[in-house]
Amino acid sequence: MVYWRIIRKSYIRNLQYRIAHLINNVASAIFGFVYMAIWFGVLDGRAGSSPYDQQTMAQYITLTQCLLWVTTFHTPGLGIQNGVRTGAVSTDLMRPISYFLYVMSMEFGKVVYSFFYRFIPVGLILGSIAGFSFPLQLQTYLWFLLSLLFSVYLGLLLFYITGISSFWTTEIRWSHYILITLIFGLGGQMIPVELLPGLLGKLSLYLPFSGILYAPAMIFLERIDPDVIVMQAGWAMVLTLTALFLTAKARRKVEVQGG
Amino acid sequence: MIEAYGLGKTFRLTKSGKGMFGAAKALFSRAYTEVKAVEQVSFQIKEGEFVGYIGPNGAGKSTTIKMLAGILHPSRGEVKVAGYSPQEQRKEVAKRIGVVFGQRTQLWWDLPVRDSLEILQAMYRIDDAFYRQALLRYDDLLDLQEFMDTPVRKLSLGQRMRADLAAALLHNPPVIFLDEPTIGLDVVAKKKIREFLQQINRVEKKTILLTTHDMDDIEQLCERIILINHGKVVLDGTLRQLREQIGLPSVMVIEYRDEPSVRDALPWQGVEKVEQEGNQLKIHFDKTKLSAPQILAEIGRWGEPVDIQIKEPEMEDIIRMMY
Amino acid sequence: MIWLYRKLILASIRAQMQYKLNFLTTAATTGLIMVIDFLVLSAILQRFDQVKGWDIYEVGVLYGLASASMSLYRLIAPEIHDFERYIVYGDFDQLLTRPVSPLTLLLTRNIELARIGGIVQGIAILVISLYGLHQEGKNIVWLLAYVPVSLAVGTVILFSVGLATATIGFWTGQIKDLQTFTLYAPATAANYPISLYPGWLKLLFYTAIPVAFMNYMPMSYLLDKGGSWTALLMPLGMAAVVCWMALRFWKYGIHHYHSTGS
Repeated sequence: MVYWRIIRKSYIRNLQYRIAHLINNVASAIFGFVYMAIWFGVLDGRAGSSPYDQQTMAQYITLTQCLLWVTTFHTPGLGIQNGVRTGAVSTDLMRPISYFLYVMSMEFGKVVYSFFYRFIPVGLILGSIAGFSFPLQLQTYLWFLLSLLFSVYLGLLLFYITGISSFWTTEIRWSHYILITLIFGLGGQMIPVELLPGLLGKLSLYLPFSGILYAPAMIFLERIDPDVIVMQAGWAMVLTLTALFLTAKARRKVEVQGG
Repeated sequence: MIEAYGLGKTFRLTKSGKGMFGAAKALFSRAYTEVKAVEQVSFQIKEGEFVGYIGPNGAGKSTTIKMLAGILHPSRGEVKVAGYSPQEQRKEVAKRIGVVFGQRTQLWWDLPVRDSLEILQAMYRIDDAFYRQALLRYDDLLDLQEFMDTPVRKLSLGQRMRADLAAALLHNPPVIFLDEPTIGLDVVAKKKIREFLQQINRVEKKTILLTTHDMDDIEQLCERIILINHGKVVLDGTLRQLREQIGLPSVMVIEYRDEPSVRDALPWQGVEKVEQEGNQLKIHFDKTKLSAPQILAEIGRWGEPVDIQIKEPEMEDIIRMMY
Repeated sequence: MIWLYRKLILASIRAQMQYKLNFLTTAATTGLIMVIDFLVLSAILQRFDQVKGWDIYEVGVLYGLASASMSLYRLIAPEIHDFERYIVYGDFDQLLTRPVSPLTLLLTRNIELARIGGIVQGIAILVISLYGLHQEGKNIVWLLAYVPVSLAVGTVILFSVGLATATIGFWTGQIKDLQTFTLYAPATAANYPISLYPGWLKLLFYTAIPVAFMNYMPMSYLLDKGGSWTALLMPLGMAAVVCWMALRFWKYGIHHYHSTGS
């Protein structure tokens, strides 16, 4: 199948950077290390006032740092805006395959690569500091896997929608920054979202951003009910429909105005 | 103005791998291969000369220019440009040379040409009166006015080259190095650039060293040619001498409607070879002994030509002819 | 040099104003992540009061100084920061054909105005934090007086580290991955009290990559967390030393470039 081939090609293309990336992983682990140090300092001698102890928080940070590589550190706008600017996008739209799946497959190949050469190594480095603890219940692994797949898909969808907006705005830097900010702030990159103050703490549990980092990380730590996957699935559906709707609109725009 | 004595440059190429890791390994590794980019080059160029510095890719042209301009330090030998050593007195030399690399601009990408020139004015400490005068002169020769207020990124390749030339000449350097100044330009733009170079060479007595792959550049501009190959000077003389030494054959390709019947016209002086392939005929000839119209007059009698092309010899061909 | 620099800044402003909207949005979004990052940190500290004895306003002082210094460095030295380009595309050659030193050329080639957004946001965090400290009844006169010194020291230290990292590019050809190690990670770490980190990291931040001097050391003293008044002078000395060393290393790098090319 064509999408499978695209995924494989994109995976192989990324392989050429693996040595540099493996070194870079050590550097990026330092960020995780800094966040861990903050939590260690914050919770020092005050385990009672927090639902999570120091080790749990260190492991949480480890997981979110890993998840960032497969859900958030994508090509801005999945590169759609480049095609729009150069006009190459009209050729891509005319191909006898789904443009949506084509773009998503391209990036998904990179995600698979990032899983092996980013997610795993960063997890090993940070885990060796935080201490490894693995879920005891077998079904947790299944729930985690499912939740992970949804989180990857949600991340890709949000990037795709940002990218496709370039058909109307041409410049996506602004929206890309906002997206990243939302994922970092409300996704739970540094703090479990329910610890955010006031309404924000309650609301962000139901936004797609927490489905990207918070949900899979907490499922792995067995600190949250797997029901949260339903929330992820719901957002996946809504955002897929949005993405397909915008793609159809964009296609019509190209057909009518010739790009 | 430009002197090179026994100039040589040896690069040590560390066997480096890809990426960060390979690069880091290369830092500590002692394994390297030595490459002699320039082996032994000597020449003296007098004031007001226009010299073509030519040779095939990888012959050491760019490396030589970089040594003359003070970018690279030679491994062996000595260089003097306008009386200074680029190695020891780089800034003194820099004030006295203008450099144009055809592939990349020296102008500020997002700034209008005018701003770029004003920054250069400040950089070279050119006083206002002289600056205004220089602008007038180059506007006259290069028509700068039409794109003076356009950001460099919006210029066409030809306009950019004109702006680059003005920028390189602003501080009135006696010596000019040009590395492939006509590369990628269309015929009209090339013509304009050549006329300009001729003008500043003849009128302002600038000493110019030019590298190029374009035989027309050399034919129309350079009174002297230094040909190098494998880092050594192979020939230092005039274009005529080069021609005499290797013949420099042009090729005329004629496409006939039907298969032509070639008569025994070969003993013409200047024709070196005739190849026939179906309806196509290739005549290799020496331009200095036989003109194209003379051949044209003949070929019409062999059949009905539908297409005629003349191919000038490529640089690579010339080098091949040398051996 | 001053003349050249003034000309350049004016030209640079004019060039970047060609894309007014783009400039404004970039300026606004540059540092947005920083502000969110800080808000999340406030959320944590609002719940847990303090980290290693530093409350939110005190951390805010560190955070504002470190991030404003980083933005200042990025404002004045974008060409040093993106030096990799010059090596990869061979653009460095052209700088060596000028009668001015390559470092002067690089510094006067461009300033990245959009970083003003980051500076403003960093200073905003600083101002809010100082105001908070004032409300708590702390004397902030000396803090206020020392802020400009700290910003200058921070900018010089980050510039020196950036320059040294760029110099490594003469040998390795690439510096982007290296910058994560030498600049991004240490600058992020310096947003928080250095006392959080284990010994080997502290050692690193006090020596090879001396980010501890740009905020943590003097602020510890000014916020009564220990140390002596020498903590106000040492950053100046350290900034001078690293700057001198970075310049020496840069010169050595250029010498190497002369003999090898790219």
